[in-house]
Amino acid sequence: MSKKLLWSLFSVMLLVLLVVAGCGGDEGASSDDSGDDTNTSQNDNTDNSSNDSSSSDSSSSDNSDDKKTLVFGRGADSVSLDPSKVTDGESIYVTNQVYDTLVRYEQGNTEVKEALAVDWDVNEDGTVWTFKLREGVKFHDGTDFTAEDVVYNFERWTTSGEYVYYGYMFGASEDDPAGIIEKVEALSDYEVQFTLEEPNAPFLQTLAMPPFAIASPDAIEEYGDDYGNHPVGTGPFKFVEWLKDDRIVLEKNPDYFGQVASVDEVVFRVIPDNSARFMELQSGTIHIMNGMNPQDIATAENDANLQIIRRPSMNVGYMAMNTSKEGPMSSKLVRQAINLAIDKDKLITLYEGIGKPAKNPMPPSLWGYNDDIEDYGYDPEEAKRLLAEAGYGDGFTVELYTMSNPRPYMPQPKLMAQAIQQMLGEVGIEVKIVMNDWDTHLAKTENAEHDMAFLGWTGDNGDPDNFLYVLLDKDNAKVGSAGNIAFYKNDEVHDLLIKAQTEMDQEKRTEYYLQAQEIIHEDAPWLPIAHTTPPLGVSKKVSNYVPHPTGSEPFNYIELD
Amino acid sequence: MSAEVNTSGNPKVDTKKAKSSSLWLDSMSRLLKSKTSVIGLLIILTLIFTAIFAPYVATHDPTEQDIFNRYAAPSSDHWLGTDELGRDIYSRIVYGSRISIQIGVIAVGISMVIGVLLGIVAGYFGRWIDNIIMRFIDILMAFPSILLAIALVAVLGPSLTNAMIAVGIVGVPHFARIVRSTVLSIKETEYIEAARASGVRNGEILFRHILPNSMAPIIVQATLSIGTAILDAAGLSFLGLGAQPPKPEWGAMLSDGQAALQTAPWVIMFPGLAILIVVLGFNLFGDGLRDALDPRLKQ
Repeated sequence: MSKKLLWSLFSVMLLVLLVVAGCGGDEGASSDDSGDDTNTSQNDNTDNSSNDSSSSDSSSSDNSDDKKTLVFGRGADSVSLDPSKVTDGESIYVTNQVYDTLVRYEQGNTEVKEALAVDWDVNEDGTVWTFKLREGVKFHDGTDFTAEDVVYNFERWTTSGEYVYYGYMFGASEDDPAGIIEKVEALSDYEVQFTLEEPNAPFLQTLAMPPFAIASPDAIEEYGDDYGNHPVGTGPFKFVEWLKDDRIVLEKNPDYFGQVASVDEVVFRVIPDNSARFMELQSGTIHIMNGMNPQDIATAENDANLQIIRRPSMNVGYMAMNTSKEGPMSSKLVRQAINLAIDKDKLITLYEGIGKPAKNPMPPSLWGYNDDIEDYGYDPEEAKRLLAEAGYGDGFTVELYTMSNPRPYMPQPKLMAQAIQQMLGEVGIEVKIVMNDWDTHLAKTENAEHDMAFLGWTGDNGDPDNFLYVLLDKDNAKVGSAGNIAFYKNDEVHDLLIKAQTEMDQEKRTEYYLQAQEIIHEDAPWLPIAHTTPPLGVSKKVSNYVPHPTGSEPFNYIELD
Repeated sequence: MSAEVNTSGNPKVDTKKAKSSSLWLDSMSRLLKSKTSVIGLLIILTLIFTAIFAPYVATHDPTEQDIFNRYAAPSSDHWLGTDELGRDIYSRIVYGSRISIQIGVIAVGISMVIGVLLGIVAGYFGRWIDNIIMRFIDILMAFPSILLAIALVAVLGPSLTNAMIAVGIVGVPHFARIVRSTVLSIKETEYIEAARASGVRNGEILFRHILPNSMAPIIVQATLSIGTAILDAAGLSFLGLGAQPPKPEWGAMLSDGQAALQTAPWVIMFPGLAILIVVLGFNLFGDGLRDALDPRLKQ
């Protein structure tokens, strides 16, 4: 009898345990999202698929506050939310919501419009810029925004080499930490003046770049090294929380000086697998996704609930050849031969319709693009001849470094690597593929460990300087933090690029850039591969979403049904 | 070790009918009576045949790309369709069989040599040697096998050779344990005692008397392990830690094809089937072998 009793007790306990465990999932998930985020809590219960499309409506009606949450799905997490220290698109995506720059880009193009600065003036020789600042703006921590804060931020960026973009854009180095900016002064509470050592044509465009966002000095002092996890800006969204490799939650800033966001909350979710992310988009648990598998585009176009929005093209995907390495890669003939040995038409089919072949290191949508340059074309015989002339007639072995994850300018890097391996194999060059994840790939290529490497660039400010100077000038071929991972050093190109930077007359600048592209074409430090229009999968519930050519955009214009 | 088996088996072949009660022949006939193990054997033989005659069996060069003809559906030209770079899937699977056999034999060879040595030493000498070896084996066993293999490959660097080494090391504990327990029972038998009493040295007792007599469980374990090894190595390649492109390794083929799972299922389906069938083959054969070699089933 007692044994029987024990058994029934045991089974009752088991039953209770099961019930509790079953409910626990829901509770855990919603408390995770601070209880109000109906769309995302639904994500965590993937088995709860019976009502996936309708539940967001029905469950949000349960909520008294009825929040609108926009969920953005992406492949990798941000590195840091201090935009001045990062160069990766995934970080910038988020900081673009939290911060403002002095000036911002127009929706959908790179024309500059007012933001934290409402008016500006430049003296005749282009060296003194005066900005009139917006009054009554508050940082998310409640402190007032004044000219002193602008000065504070600019001075902070000159204190160390960590502020990568400052170095790229203003030519700062260890010996000259401030670069071309001689001084930044607050003339009054709402007036700030920049004095440059020499004129800089893209200066205003550059100030609109997300890395030069103005952060709250109080917060920077308060959090110190940990500031990258606690961003405080003036932007349309406030930072709420960051669960690493899972999600970043932002809420709307009701006091925003520009257009106040229509959605109440934005969640950036990390879903590494492209197919899994697409399935979540299909089931309605995320609203916008980047990094689509090319194969899924047609599926999305045929789905009544989804649309494909293409980001305007302002990028280039390329294979850099490390000219600083002893051996074949330092030979111009070999680099030209590699350009000739690759059938770009074939490579482009791996873009499945989202890419156009590239022949220059900058996209044709920018002014200054040299369309007179004729691409190398596919000629393996000529390639073999050049290799023989260079003394490598018997072939050689090289390593091709590639990232494992898709990038907007290269959706299928692994396949590209294999295709190139095959094509170069036909002219006697044996290619070893070295695949690394994104962080490692960046670190290794910046360190010049590669012979050849894939990489790409999405323009930040719509100026050719942002491509040619950042990616191919000798100033940026510093081992350890290189933007120029071909480590291409040509003084002639350098002179042209510097002249173009300091010249204010656009026609002359165009002329310099055309010439620079010709020399670069001849020296062939790269195999330029493609310019893409990266597709974004977007739910039909989302309207007014205009992707920006620079790769990210503030979400305050987006409407969500 | 297999040489030992043959020398003890060979003389009996001539006198097949007279001495049909020998362990090996008996087992063989029992093995052939079991349908499932014959199926397993057939699968293995087909695999070996394909691997040896791959150039004749295949219809295309396994690494030849035809980028304008990607994700082509199965047709008379490409029997199983083409993959993400327009390579012929059928030919890749055929050439992939060579890699699978290589992995199976080499990885299991590594586990067998190390495992048998450790097991036999631990079982025969006992005491603190046994204790040290078996605790080490326990530590190895404590890790989930694929995790341990991943860790090893991460240290050694991703390549097919390193994947084989890793899978081999992961398999060591199974051999060591089986051999140790067999040795423990054999060393108590009278003939070993007799050998020891007549002054035979330890080494000779181990390798002349004990080892040949513990062959049966080792062979069974080896056969079963080949299936697991192929599966583990495919897993490593799937994660990008094993065979490097453009090698037509089955696991790597699976991994490359997953992007087109919805639009071109054949890219992932056929290599998956190949792995399934081969692993099944080794398992069926291994199971049959175990039953056949079990003396308790002797009539």
